[in-house]
Order: sequence, then structure tokens, then C-alpha cells
Amino acid sequence: MFRRKVRTALCIIGIALATTFVVAVGAATMRYATVIKEMNLLFSGQIMVVSNDSIVIQAFPIYGSRLPQSHTENLLQNIAGVEKTVPMVFISPIAFQDLLNLMPVNFTMGIPVEHWQLILGQTPLKGNVGHFPSSETSNEVVIGPSLADEHGWTIGTNITVGGRKLEVTGILDTKVALLNRCVFMPLTIAQELYNYRSSVNLIIVKPAQGYSQKNLADIIENQIPSVKALTEEERNDTVQPILAQIEIWNIGIQTVVFLISLILVMTVTIMSVSERRRDFATLDAMGAPLSYVFRIVIQETSLIGILGGILGIALGSLGALILASLYSNIPLAQFFPTFYEIIPPLYMLQTFTAVVAVCCISGIIPAINATRMRIAEVLRAEY
Amino acid sequence: MKIKTVDLTKTYHLGPSEIIAVNKVNFEINKPIFIAIIGPSGSGKSTLLNLIGLNDIPTFGKIFIDDADALLLSSNKRRKIRLLRMGFIFQTFNLLPTLNALENVELPMAFAGKTQKDQRQKAVKLLEAVGLGKRLFHRPKELSMGEMQRVAIARALANNPEIIIADEPTGELDSKTAKEIISLLYEVNRKEKATVVVATHDEKMIDVADRIYMIQDGRLRLQE
Repeated sequence: MFRRKVRTALCIIGIALATTFVVAVGAATMRYATVIKEMNLLFSGQIMVVSNDSIVIQAFPIYGSRLPQSHTENLLQNIAGVEKTVPMVFISPIAFQDLLNLMPVNFTMGIPVEHWQLILGQTPLKGNVGHFPSSETSNEVVIGPSLADEHGWTIGTNITVGGRKLEVTGILDTKVALLNRCVFMPLTIAQELYNYRSSVNLIIVKPAQGYSQKNLADIIENQIPSVKALTEEERNDTVQPILAQIEIWNIGIQTVVFLISLILVMTVTIMSVSERRRDFATLDAMGAPLSYVFRIVIQETSLIGILGGILGIALGSLGALILASLYSNIPLAQFFPTFYEIIPPLYMLQTFTAVVAVCCISGIIPAINATRMRIAEVLRAEY
Repeated sequence: MKIKTVDLTKTYHLGPSEIIAVNKVNFEINKPIFIAIIGPSGSGKSTLLNLIGLNDIPTFGKIFIDDADALLLSSNKRRKIRLLRMGFIFQTFNLLPTLNALENVELPMAFAGKTQKDQRQKAVKLLEAVGLGKRLFHRPKELSMGEMQRVAIARALANNPEIIIADEPTGELDSKTAKEIISLLYEVNRKEKATVVVATHDEKMIDVADRIYMIQDGRLRLQE
């Protein structure tokens, strides 16, 4: 009896660890995919122009030559179908290890003040207090809420970037991961601070009505050989295979983990049924319905699934938060308010259901064994 | 309950050799009596009880329950007969270790579809009758061997069986406790009008039996 209890407890811990792994890795990769997908939403319907040696992750260049601002803008504006151009500077602290970040860490965007809407859309400021930078030369910035929380910055706080004092004039009210960790400043200030004088690393092109993104992007690339023009679809295409791979690996890992769990629970249950042959034979001799014997075994494996699942989801959720914190260098406490965004309740429910289902299934063969005992042989063997 | 066996035979194969555990047994029970089956170890007592109790299928021969061929019944019907018309007592008690005395006795009634209230009332009554009124909530490991066997007797009586089949019920007990168990079984036979078939070595059991059979090498014969 004691050995059986220890074995069952170990089995529950095994299932809990498997669930922890599935939840932590699954939630982390889901978060990664969501952040990448979110990034492309920012320039929806628009073409992104970067130097043709640029490396682009979704909507942002993380490496590449600069574009001469006026010259490139002039060339673009002379192309039929270009309605508007918005030059931008995107500064990312991305080092090689940061490529694995699950969430973009502090980065800076310089946007012309008249074009805030382009990137921020209808994003309001927290509490409707503050304002976006008022002019190209004002030393004002708007920051993401996660950044503000982490550093305790509020409206009116002076922050120093590159030796220059900038005043926080607004904090974005947003849940988009990208905007959460961003500093927005006027383009001119960004150019001065990051030594981008008269140059940018990104120009957003809005196609005129009646022009398709694809045709216009082809024309831009033909007429300005030093740039590449990426449509929304092309930007998606660059990450779609990666996301698909992540998804496949995720499903693969989950399948393997669940299969191992299934074998573990089945083995433990077969041993447990085998040790209780006399009990099952006694029930059979007493005339217990086969469904009762079957139910006992399935209930036991389900209980292993329920306990292991609950424990695993709790540990896995914590694991996902720790992973998110480790890979983004953001303090763990910052993730607690966004707990359900990192580990969506639906995902928890799906994982829990899968764990319980796997444990139920793993009880079927032992349950059938329990119902097929030959009473006389079992009872005779006991003497 | 009428039980009749015709040339009942059970053989086992142990490697190349064939062991005849029960050999052409003809046996009949027409009324509630106390039957003792005696014989040395390995003589076929338990096998015979398992066959009579429909826990096993004979290799040859027939068993009739109330004139109906039991071997022609479906396994579910045989199960129902075991549940509603028979009670089993084992040498090693075979109580379910995770259930307390009360729950062990309630179990057959639950299988029979009795209400929880009825199960509880009857189980308490039976346990009181076997002298365990104060040990209702004790689990088997908290009971002495004699007490465990009393619980097993109460459990066997739960569905008012017409026949009690007991395989060496005193085999694990000291002589004083064995005597008490024998008295209980005798009482069951006399008061409840249930047939009691006991496989035993215990001479005291033989003293109270109405009919004694001797089994040797699988062959059964009536002791005069």
C-alpha cells in the first residue's frame, strides 16, 4: 500500500512536470508568436522601404545601411501611386542574444510629430493625461506603460538619453507588447541623439487609392535599386515559415510529452492493477458490474491527471513568467498584471483538458485488464 | 436455491501434465443445510467451491441452479446470481483495504441498486449482529483477523443470499475466534435459512455440519 502511494505520488509529480513543461514552453512560444504578429499590425496596409541590405524582423529593420532622408523621399514621391511617405528612425538595442527575446526590450522610434497616428493609431494616453511631443525640436517623449512601471517614470519625469534630458509627456495606454517597451520621440530629436543626421533607416509608404501594395513595391524597387520595398504580405511571409516551424515544434514537443505521460500513467496503473488483482477478483466474485471495476481504474487515472494538471499548470504558469522575464530582462513582478495575456485562460483550459484526457486514455488498457481477471485463478494464486 | 452438479470436472494443465482438480463430482443441494467439505490441501476443495459459486467454468460436466443450466447463462446473468443469491467468505477475508467496515458491507448492496439509506441501515444492522457495532468506521488494517472475518461474513449476508460459500473461513484464525465464526455461520444457516457450504480443516466446523463431504484427488464422497 505504501509503495503504491509513493508510486502514485511520483506519477502525479511526473504528470505535473510534463504539464509544467508544456505550459511554460507553449505559453512562451505563443507569446513570442503573438509579439511578432503584433509588430506587423502597426503598418497595416502600407509599404515599408529600407535599404536593400537591411535585415528586417516583421515591421522593423534591425540591421542595415541608412537611407538619405530627403533624397529617398524625393525619389519615392516622384513615383506614381505613392500618396504619402513617412520617414522614421528605429533604434533597437538588439544584440545577438536579444534575437531570442520573447518581448522587444526598450527600443526607440523617431517619428515626425505630425505622423503619430501612423504608428500609434488610436492608442490613447494613460488616463487621458499628457500629450504627444508638440514639435520636432521639443525634448519630449512618450513611453510605453511597461517601461514606465519598471522605472517608476511618470508624466513630467526627466530621462536622460545620450546625455540629453527628455521629458516624459505621456504614457501610452496599451497592451501591445511592442508599444509597452518603446520610447517615442520626434524624428529630429532621434536623428540628433542617434547620429542619424539627414538620414533614416525606414520610410513608410502609403499607396494611393487604386494602387496595390505589391505593384507599387515592385515599381519602387525597380526605380530605386538601393532599397527594398516590403509589402505587408512580404513582411508576413518572412516570419510565417518561422512561426509555422515554432508551431510545429510546439505541437511536436507537446505530443511527445503527452505520449511519455501516457506511457508513465499506463505503466503505473498496470502495476497498481496487478498488485490489486485480489481486490478486483473479490469484486468480481461478489458480482460487481464490470462497469464499476472499469470506472474505478479510470477514476484513478483521471485523478492523477487532475492533480498533476492543476499542479503543472500552476508551476508552468510561473515558469512561463520566469521565461518571459529571463528572455526580456524585465523584472518578474512586471509580468504579474499581464498574467492572463502571457498564459491565456483558454490555453490553460486546453492543456488541462488534454492532460486529463491523456490520463483517462492511459487508464483504458489497465481497466480492461482489471475487468478480465479470472477470479478463480487470481484467488487461488493468492493462497 | 437448488444446486445440482452432474459429472463436474475441472482439469488444469501444468506444463505437459494434466491435473484433475475436480473429478466427476455429482452433488445436490435442495434445502438450506450446513455442508462441510473436508480434504487435504490441494484436494480440490477451493476449485469445487469456485465452480459451485459460478466463479469458474468446468472443463466438463454441468451445474444446474434451480434446474437451469448455469453454463448456458451469460456471464452477466452468472454475475447477477453471485451478487443477489450467493455470498462469499474467503480464508484471507478479502476486504477492500481502502474502505471501512461499513463501506465494505454496503458495497454488494450498492451493486444491487439499493438506496444509500437502505445500505447504511442494513450494513449497521449486520455489523451489529456480528458484534462489530463499535467498529463500523475502522478500516481492515485497524481490525483483528477475527473482526475482519466478521466483516466478511456481514458482507456476504448483505444481499440476503440463499447460499453462503466459505473457503476455509477459520484457516487464519485462532481457535477461540474460529469457534465464534463457526457459531456465526451456524446461526446464519439456522436463522437466515441460508445454505452454508464450507471448505474446512476445522473439526469444530465438522461438528455443526448437517452433511460432510470428503474430497480427495478431486473425487467427492459423502461421509457417513
